[in-house]
Amino acid sequence: MFRSIYLKSFRDYRVPILGWGLGLGLLLAVVFAAVPAVFATPAAKAAVVALGSSYAWIAEPIKIDTAGGYATWKYGITILVVVIWPLLAGTGMLRGEEDRGSLDVLLSLPRGRVRVALEKVAALWTALLAMGLVIGLLAYVGAAKVSSDISLGATLAFGVNLALICAVFGSIALLVSQFTQERRTASGVTAGILLVAIVVDMVHRVVPNTVWLSQLSPVYYYNLSKPLVPGYGVNPGAMLVMVGLTVILSGAAVWLFARRDVGGVVLHLPQRTNMETRALPQSDWSLRSVYSRSLGMIVTPTLWWTLAIAGFAAWMVVIVKQTETSLKSLLQGSPAIAAFLKLGGSDTATNASILSAFFIFMPVLLMAFAVTQSNRWSADEEDGLLEIVLSTPQPRLRVLLGRFAALATATIFISVLTLVATAAASVVTGVALDYGNLAAASLSMIPLGLLVAAIGYLFAGWLRAAVDTGLLSFVLLVWVFISFIGPGVNLPDASQKLSPFYYYGTPLLHGIQLADLLVVVLVGAVALGIASARFMRKDIAV
Amino acid sequence: MPSIIEVEKLTKSYGGKRGIDGVSFEVAEGEVFGFLGPNGAGKTTTIRLLMALIRADGGTARIAGLDCWEKALEIKRLVGYVPGEPSLDRNLTGGQILEYFAHLRGGVDRAYLKSLIERMDLDTSRKFRQYSTGNKRKVVLVQAFMHRPRLLILDEPTSGLDPLNQQEFDGMVREAREEGRTVFLSSHVLSEVEKTCSRVAIIRDGRIVRIGGVHELKDIKRYEITIAFAHPVPADTFTKLDGVAEVESLDGGSAVRLAMQGAADAVIKAAAQFPVVSLTSYEPSLEDIFLRYYERDGQAPREEAARV
Repeated sequence: MFRSIYLKSFRDYRVPILGWGLGLGLLLAVVFAAVPAVFATPAAKAAVVALGSSYAWIAEPIKIDTAGGYATWKYGITILVVVIWPLLAGTGMLRGEEDRGSLDVLLSLPRGRVRVALEKVAALWTALLAMGLVIGLLAYVGAAKVSSDISLGATLAFGVNLALICAVFGSIALLVSQFTQERRTASGVTAGILLVAIVVDMVHRVVPNTVWLSQLSPVYYYNLSKPLVPGYGVNPGAMLVMVGLTVILSGAAVWLFARRDVGGVVLHLPQRTNMETRALPQSDWSLRSVYSRSLGMIVTPTLWWTLAIAGFAAWMVVIVKQTETSLKSLLQGSPAIAAFLKLGGSDTATNASILSAFFIFMPVLLMAFAVTQSNRWSADEEDGLLEIVLSTPQPRLRVLLGRFAALATATIFISVLTLVATAAASVVTGVALDYGNLAAASLSMIPLGLLVAAIGYLFAGWLRAAVDTGLLSFVLLVWVFISFIGPGVNLPDASQKLSPFYYYGTPLLHGIQLADLLVVVLVGAVALGIASARFMRKDIAV
Repeated sequence: MPSIIEVEKLTKSYGGKRGIDGVSFEVAEGEVFGFLGPNGAGKTTTIRLLMALIRADGGTARIAGLDCWEKALEIKRLVGYVPGEPSLDRNLTGGQILEYFAHLRGGVDRAYLKSLIERMDLDTSRKFRQYSTGNKRKVVLVQAFMHRPRLLILDEPTSGLDPLNQQEFDGMVREAREEGRTVFLSSHVLSEVEKTCSRVAIIRDGRIVRIGGVHELKDIKRYEITIAFAHPVPADTFTKLDGVAEVESLDGGSAVRLAMQGAADAVIKAAAQFPVVSLTSYEPSLEDIFLRYYERDGQAPREEAARV
């Protein structure tokens, strides 16, 4: 496997291929396995069908009363989480190696730059196809037990379609990384593009006559193929568009890479020229302490995540208005749907009930933010950035708590801005909401974000950054699975208590659940306590 | 002079892999102490133990009488540190980095800090990622010296510096010594150690193989004498003489090259029996001494693993 750059790069992807392939493949298999339970009675089936049309803005419901249709609808955008990996691989392929300085050595070999880049790109494409193959095979294993309508070809086509959208975003990431000085900037920008692409694709399902706008999003072409839906199949034209986008974007990235400085960027922003060459920035607030420096480090990503989370929350409020009419009658007429949504109670016919069902995505996003930021803690240690900090008379505990406090500040900032954005959206759209409960829903996210961060810091005591992040992401996915999929696959009720979303509850409907949140706070405090004790005694990695 | 660093039977392994094994030495207050060894010998492990970045499996390490692990905070008030592979925030300018560490240390004399910046000819307006290797090293050096620490612990401090800046660094070390401060300096640049250090420890495979004054080390060096004669002389004339380690016959026997260890008296007397055309002696540098210890695959000789 070390005979060429292509093989070496492909080897580097073996863990993600298996990890993401097995993870998502098994997820699909589980969803298929749950279909008989979900469609247990004609009433339940009818409820799901009706529900599908109400949630069409998330995913287009086609033949939702079939196993393939149900799986396709239920994971309409959720499955796009797999794009995160090629996104990171795309930014790491060249820019990541430049950050580490390893590309200098690679380019000292008697191989042209274009060839080096193309071998790496080809390795990623192969890896994505391999991942799609694993997903397709596992999906078939699950589907074969519940439906004779789904062929192996269909599940493999599903895997290929997924690999193609991954390749598109991997190529966008590669192209973006030609313009950024650092890998993490490129990752952040591409993640933003992904989020925008998902929302732009949604637009045509909410606002009439806007297909032209959605066609600007690569996600739109991914959704045109629904191989698991019986009789729907794939859209070869859409798949070709994705192939074309991949080739053009990757080709442009390679072309730019061959012409720019290694370690440089395509476009150079003008440098500030009025800086004194011997000056010390004594008035810079961010350099006063570990806390302020840590805060300074995460200002930019925090602003981006605030934009995404608060913006998404405000968007939810806006579409509540549109969903209200159809969902209100549906919920009132069908207790089965109310149970499915876990809304319950007599107040389901309110704006808060509808918004509550959507709002549960907000803490998930905030927790994802916490995953990315706690990753930087372990990465900084691994990169040797703590070495000199810890040579100063700063106690280890203060260094760790300073970093954590900065992350806590960012988490609070995002939550408060989410509250402001949703309140403003409700005023503008005329959606009446209980602002006390809205505040409870927004601010109750904070303990969940901090819990994830504390567990990330805990893992960092023993694990390297990549493993820490992978494990923390896995824990988050397990919680999502328990809370949002668990009820559908008949997981024991007791298992719900293992997920922090259980303790988050439905604050938009029932206000703040202080006792439940205290459980989350307590677990987070214990995790942070152990993380601190470990950090005070551990060997600092280099 | 009292010892400012006391290391006794210090041991550290990494999951079964060797780090250092039973390392012992002392550094007197006010001296410049060189710590020599090839890559992977255990220099950085020893230094990171002194800085409480890693914890010892056994033995003790004390700085100014304080246990390095238990009293790490107090010790760090006394110490300026240059790591072997310095890594700093790539997005900060040199000035921001120095300002940040000045705040973390507290009580830094800004005028002195600025003088160090001038002295190292450091452009503080550039981002760390834009610096050359040498300039990155300058930033790290300035942060180590800026609070006038009582003890400087420097791991390969001049790696990447150009000769002019190396001279400046030598001057800074000399001044530190003149002010009574202590410098503990790891290096594999022996000429640097020869210039700046008063005593030296050599570490190999995690063990100290020799400690001594720089001049004492030279006393046990192996040196060479080349003698040219007017006509060929039998090489075995010198083979069994005291102080002769090896004999090599040159120019068809008209000259001999002798590897010496010890006094040359017997050689001079033996050579005097023949018509000598020229006699040259080659004084090895510390570099040569160093290589002698590490060019062999086996361990250093037993008799050498002792203080001189």
